[in-house]
Amino acid sequence: MPVGDKKPEPRMKSRLHTEEAPRSRVVVQPLSTEARPHKPQQRRNAPIDGELEAIALAQQGDAQAFETLYNLHKRRVYSLCLRMLSNVSEAEDLTQVAFMQLHRKIETFRGDSAFSTWLHRMTVNVVLMHLRKNGLQLVSLEEVMEPAQDDGPRKDFGARDRVLAGAVDRVTLERAVEDLPPGYRMVFVLHDIEGYEHNEIATMLRCSVGNCKSQLHKARMRLREQLRNVVLTEARP
Amino acid sequence: MTDSRATTQHESNTDCHSFQASLPELFETDAGLHEQPHLATCAACTALVRDLEYIAAQAKLLLPMHDPSPAVWENIQSALVKPGSRSKRSL
Repeated sequence: MPVGDKKPEPRMKSRLHTEEAPRSRVVVQPLSTEARPHKPQQRRNAPIDGELEAIALAQQGDAQAFETLYNLHKRRVYSLCLRMLSNVSEAEDLTQVAFMQLHRKIETFRGDSAFSTWLHRMTVNVVLMHLRKNGLQLVSLEEVMEPAQDDGPRKDFGARDRVLAGAVDRVTLERAVEDLPPGYRMVFVLHDIEGYEHNEIATMLRCSVGNCKSQLHKARMRLREQLRNVVLTEARP
Repeated sequence: MTDSRATTQHESNTDCHSFQASLPELFETDAGLHEQPHLATCAACTALVRDLEYIAAQAKLLLPMHDPSPAVWENIQSALVKPGSRSKRSL
């Protein structure tokens, strides 16, 4: 069915409230959606044809214009949700929630930042509020902060190993990010992929900037190990 | 001779540990990561830095590439046509 076609059912689903109870929790705090510009805006706020007109019309309640905005931004919103959650079902639910929230709040958009940046922040808030309510599964922020034995200096790598540069494609990296523990993945996605600063992430996650940097470093270290394993596996005859 | 080699190895491990412990900060500042003296003598840590920089660089190139299923929009539509929706035109 085309995206714009009417369909009376199903109504808004409620999967968000039926997830398995989390084993641990991380406290998160949403960002202001009108906060200062940041790296994502600098990197990915290229104007989109028809966006300004669609925003103005959607602010007046024009449904077709809102659908246009959905089609312009659905990929970025969904991809952000998916990367933060690594769960298709949850990512779709929260994409839905984000656009419903956009529908409610679009009248408040004043253009202080790029629309894509504003929507991006709103989406991050939606995901973090969801996590705040349900908690990160599998491992908590505190648990992943604990020093692990494999975080120590390593002397078994170097010239005899394949280098990562040029040997890892986008899909492989995406998969490796998906496999990160939630606490690592959250910081890595927000910092290295989405471009948030450490102080912004620390505010969101209510942790110190130092902890945030440490988490990011451990995430990269974990990714390195995962990617090296992939490269070495592929190199075997 | 053996003692000397063991001592050198221990010092090297200590240097690596110290250097790697400082990496989170070194990566976040432009304070001459590549000018760190340890890198001049340690191939392992040089490889580590190279790989971590590569990962960070590749992450920046990841673009949104996933589309939600059509059901997402269908659900949004359904919710918006409920009484109380602020849309002035029907979806």
